[in-house]
Amino acid sequence: MTTSNYTPTVQGTGVKATIQRIGGFLAGMVMPNIGAFIAWGLITALFIPTGWLPNEDFAALVGPMITLLLPVLIGYTGGRLVHGQRGAVVGAVATVGIVVGADVPMFLGAMIIGPAAAYLVKRVDGLIQDRIRPGFEMLVDNFTAGIVGAGMALLGVWGIGPIVGRLTDIAGSGVDWLVSHHMLGLVSVIVEPAKVLFLNNAINHGVLSPLGVTEAAEAGKSILFMVETNPGPGLGLLLAFFFFGPRSLRPTAPAAMIIQFFGGIHEVYFPYVLMKPRLILAMIAGGAAGVSTFMITGAGLVATPSPGSVFAYFAVTPKGGWFGVVLGIVIAAAVTFAVAALLLGFGRKAGDEADDAAVTPEEQADREQAELAAARRRSADNKNLAPASRGSGDDTAPQATAKES
Amino acid sequence: MTTINGAAVRKVVIACDAGMGSSAMLAGQLRRQLGKHSVAVEHTPVDTIPADADVVICHQGLAERARISAPDTIIVPIQVFIGDPAVTRVVKAVQTGGDLDG
Repeated sequence: MTTSNYTPTVQGTGVKATIQRIGGFLAGMVMPNIGAFIAWGLITALFIPTGWLPNEDFAALVGPMITLLLPVLIGYTGGRLVHGQRGAVVGAVATVGIVVGADVPMFLGAMIIGPAAAYLVKRVDGLIQDRIRPGFEMLVDNFTAGIVGAGMALLGVWGIGPIVGRLTDIAGSGVDWLVSHHMLGLVSVIVEPAKVLFLNNAINHGVLSPLGVTEAAEAGKSILFMVETNPGPGLGLLLAFFFFGPRSLRPTAPAAMIIQFFGGIHEVYFPYVLMKPRLILAMIAGGAAGVSTFMITGAGLVATPSPGSVFAYFAVTPKGGWFGVVLGIVIAAAVTFAVAALLLGFGRKAGDEADDAAVTPEEQADREQAELAAARRRSADNKNLAPASRGSGDDTAPQATAKES
Repeated sequence: MTTINGAAVRKVVIACDAGMGSSAMLAGQLRRQLGKHSVAVEHTPVDTIPADADVVICHQGLAERARISAPDTIIVPIQVFIGDPAVTRVVKAVQTGGDLDG
């Protein structure tokens, strides 16, 4: 078989790949630390004065964790991405500088200064690497890292901290403006298409959740955690596929629903949208409906629900916040389902696989191969005098082969 | 064009954007299917694919990045996360010793 079709050519300059990589870098600083975010979210939801089990001693954890621990972890991880353990250490030290220099939680700042400090050490290491006298390596290594870290921390206190604090304020007031003008739903027009292009982590962990944490630290909850993570639209889409999608795809939908809605792995629904790109309209409609519902009901979460599972949602829903959260998920699912069902022609076009305008050559090759394999199996079956006729033998989608084998 | 015989595969890497979500899911499935064949199945971010990977599986939308981070490794792009024929092909090749290329 010719598998050359399956291998992407080496491309270092693809725009999509570049955007994905930048986004992946931002998300890569946050995602390994989600456990700490959840720990903070649970402590906040439980022990603050308006929480489930108010407790003053435990609530004292909330402030230091959000203003110090989480940004330092992000700066540490960002540094590690750039220059390994040395970069991580310097990134953490530098992050403390901006934490002290500002009065809002410094997530965006940490995502800038952590990698920046690590990059500086990397350059310094490169410059002096060949000039160290034997036996002085450890002394030089430790002091270069220490000096760069100290310098970046001072710079953070005086310069970068206040600037990034100002930027965070501006971004935050931009969000406030959208909320107060009831326009936050428009964000879905950007978020939903970007999501299915695998920019989901970049958008959520790179942009929305750092802003959300800032808001949650002040207001106790934030709607920004719910813009990208709502499991409703994906559920609605998969339900529409289950009832009205191409017949060959219907049996895969229930498993995908469980993984997406309960497991929180939204990636499983992306291929269904990519197969029929016009369904992105359903995702946008459902996403916007969900966000608008959250906005109107004043819903918010105390921390980022990650992965975007309905269980994670419930774990970080503040006391008394159930109504808006559940309603937003349900409405998002219902709207997506309705629009997707409409776009799928309510199943009338179920057998019509040829209406995909977006069949790439690769998909085409895949299908031809699947067709070939199915045909071979059919003829083998005939030889074996298999009595049952294969009712769905005309399916040409690749999934048909997968299930049969 | 690189080719590897399924019997020679020692490590299969499933890559996704963060290396925590869909790749972990798919790796769990493959580990069950390949458990008897002394093949290591790992999941990693697509930008940090380990150099000792024999076969990389990732979604088509990320294949370009996988190609950058693992230029000489066999990359098998998939389109769906449940029951993709390309994954089935990899499993078959490992189980029965067929050739994989890409």
